[in-house]
Amino acid sequence: MELRLSDLRDGESGVVISIGTSRGRGDADRVGRGWGFRKRLEDMGLTPGTEVTVVRSAPFSGPLEIYVRGSRLAIGRRMAERIFVEVKR
Amino acid sequence: MTENKFRVALAGNANVGKSVVFNQLTGLHQHIGNWPGKTVEKAEGTLHFKDYSIDIIDLPGIYSLSTFSLEELISREYIAVERPDLVINIVDASLLERNMFFTLQLIELETPIVMALNQMDMAKRKGIKIDHEKLEKLLGIPVIPTVAVSGTGIYELLEKAVETIEKRGKKPSQMNYGEEVEERIGALSELVQKIHYPYPSRWTAIKLLEKDEQVDREINKIDPEILHASENLAKEIEEIHGHSCSTVITSERYEIASRITREVQEVTPPTKPPTRERIHTLTTHKIFGYPIMAVTVLLIFYSIFTFGDYTSGLLGDSLFGLKPIFEGIFGTGVVGKLVWGGIIEGIIGGVTVALPYILPFYFVLYFLEDSGYLSRIAFLMDKFMHKIGLHGKAFIPVMLGFGCNVPGCLGCRIMETTRERLLAAFVVTLVPCAATTVIILGLVGRFVGFQWALALYVVDLLIIFILGRIAFKTLPGEPTALIMEMSDYRVPHMKTVLKQTWFRLMDFITMAFPLIIVGSLVIKMVEILNLLEPIASILSPVTVTWLGLPAITGITLIFGVLRKELTLIMLATLFGTANFAEKMTSVQMIVFTLVAMLYIPCIATIAALIREFGWKKTYIITVSEILLALLLGGITFRLLSF
Repeated sequence: MELRLSDLRDGESGVVISIGTSRGRGDADRVGRGWGFRKRLEDMGLTPGTEVTVVRSAPFSGPLEIYVRGSRLAIGRRMAERIFVEVKR
Repeated sequence: MTENKFRVALAGNANVGKSVVFNQLTGLHQHIGNWPGKTVEKAEGTLHFKDYSIDIIDLPGIYSLSTFSLEELISREYIAVERPDLVINIVDASLLERNMFFTLQLIELETPIVMALNQMDMAKRKGIKIDHEKLEKLLGIPVIPTVAVSGTGIYELLEKAVETIEKRGKKPSQMNYGEEVEERIGALSELVQKIHYPYPSRWTAIKLLEKDEQVDREINKIDPEILHASENLAKEIEEIHGHSCSTVITSERYEIASRITREVQEVTPPTKPPTRERIHTLTTHKIFGYPIMAVTVLLIFYSIFTFGDYTSGLLGDSLFGLKPIFEGIFGTGVVGKLVWGGIIEGIIGGVTVALPYILPFYFVLYFLEDSGYLSRIAFLMDKFMHKIGLHGKAFIPVMLGFGCNVPGCLGCRIMETTRERLLAAFVVTLVPCAATTVIILGLVGRFVGFQWALALYVVDLLIIFILGRIAFKTLPGEPTALIMEMSDYRVPHMKTVLKQTWFRLMDFITMAFPLIIVGSLVIKMVEILNLLEPIASILSPVTVTWLGLPAITGITLIFGVLRKELTLIMLATLFGTANFAEKMTSVQMIVFTLVAMLYIPCIATIAALIREFGWKKTYIITVSEILLALLLGGITFRLLSF
């Protein structure tokens, strides 16, 4: 099923489908807000089809620690909310 | 012999041991400054190898060559436009795939490259084996395995670098994207070839398809037709793949990196989790992470202040002991007063801040950064920092700011974008530093009551919170969000950390000292010319009428620009007593402290701001803080005397 990365439980994995705007699914505006961050997330390896694991999330709905392409990243929750993943549940 | 002089740039991701390689190569022949007109650090060094004199430029640690950060822009511009003779791409062998994503982009810049496959020891401990000869073949660039911390492979790296430069002219062969993308890159680069643009045409074509902001803008100026064509081609790719063109290209690039990695690397994960993993789990733990962080931060502050207080006193005493010697040489007339009170006391003031406080704070900053703990602190504090419009990484400069605003401001360069840096620095200048704490405790805490001192602290934090939010809302640009790598914990390479600390301290001293000396000379002149009283009376509408303070506080506030604690020291001198309760009411003390706390960053901080952001932004920050302090001071005066 399709979920936002921020909805995953600690230890759960999913496959990236797309990175949307903060409001909803679909591609972010091409040059508007959100474009830079999508590019950044993709540059860090979160391209469609990539497997990503949520290792843990910081308390008080803080950032997420994720494992992607062999390395460990910390990403803010607002960014994680924009990443849509396919999860087997 | 100019023909034997080469320029070599070091490029690579963050946390790959790039600065260790830089230090192994350049030893003590290095210089740290900024890229011209930019707030990005530039480290340069020279080394002599065989008959060659090689200039090494350490490019910032980055993950891509897009336009996300200033570092990325500077790096690609340097490589493509300044054309170093060689780029040494430093790669973390234990994270080959991610690192190779960057290598592939370097290859696209069509520059001669040698890869240093670094941290081979780390890779081995993680059970990763890499066939570097095969990697060399697949990438088409020389690959040298290295362990920079122990110096292994550095000599071979240099030999290979020189050999590659000597055989100059050979561009690395390009990696191919999917057919439908490749076709359009070809068509577009044919168009680009016809115009004059400093970057390689294939690279430009790829960037146009990726809708790279800067390339789009620049090409549009030269020939809008090309931009138009690229938009159509990108649309075609988007229709084929169902993703934006930039997503498609990034994915394919990662696909290449991933494929090559699978071919050259064998992984047998260690059976039990290594210590660094357990430390990581503990230090990012929901419950234990925070007390560990609190203890670490407090320990750091406690030791720096113990050290700083002691050395500062010692240095101050011994330097002030030189006074008779100077008076012997220059006399006690106007010249003597200017030399001693202006120049020498300015230098002493600088030295007693720089060595005892800035030096250890720098050391701690680089030590924590190198060990990996900094990123864990940022992880834990991210949510909290968002409340003031910043993200987790900003916690570190802000924390340093409580000790001294100077390393705080300079530490803001760990933030990615100029906007974040400026925001963080603005917040840092509002943080009560050690000297401000002395005033709060020494005046209000002692003569009005501890709860009032505490209240002032709380007020300051509130101001930071409110202004942080306002600045966050008003500054243009994308909102801040955290995205960073949390690299494995490691033991910092002491020599590198010490050198980084030392050279950055030197950089600060050369920048700040002239300003500090000029500042104290000016104030000394004012004093000698007996202008202090007239200035105090000029300021009296503000100090007396608006703030309700004694007129002489105008003078002390002027001195406070040099060092904040001087406001208190001068006050005692001018009153002729340190029992301030005799001369000031409680309300006056509170208002005075509030103003002293906020009214201006001290001159060393101003120098740091100029160093990082230029005169204009420094001016805006300074002036707005003066106005803020006066506004709040006046309101507080009226509220409290009501």
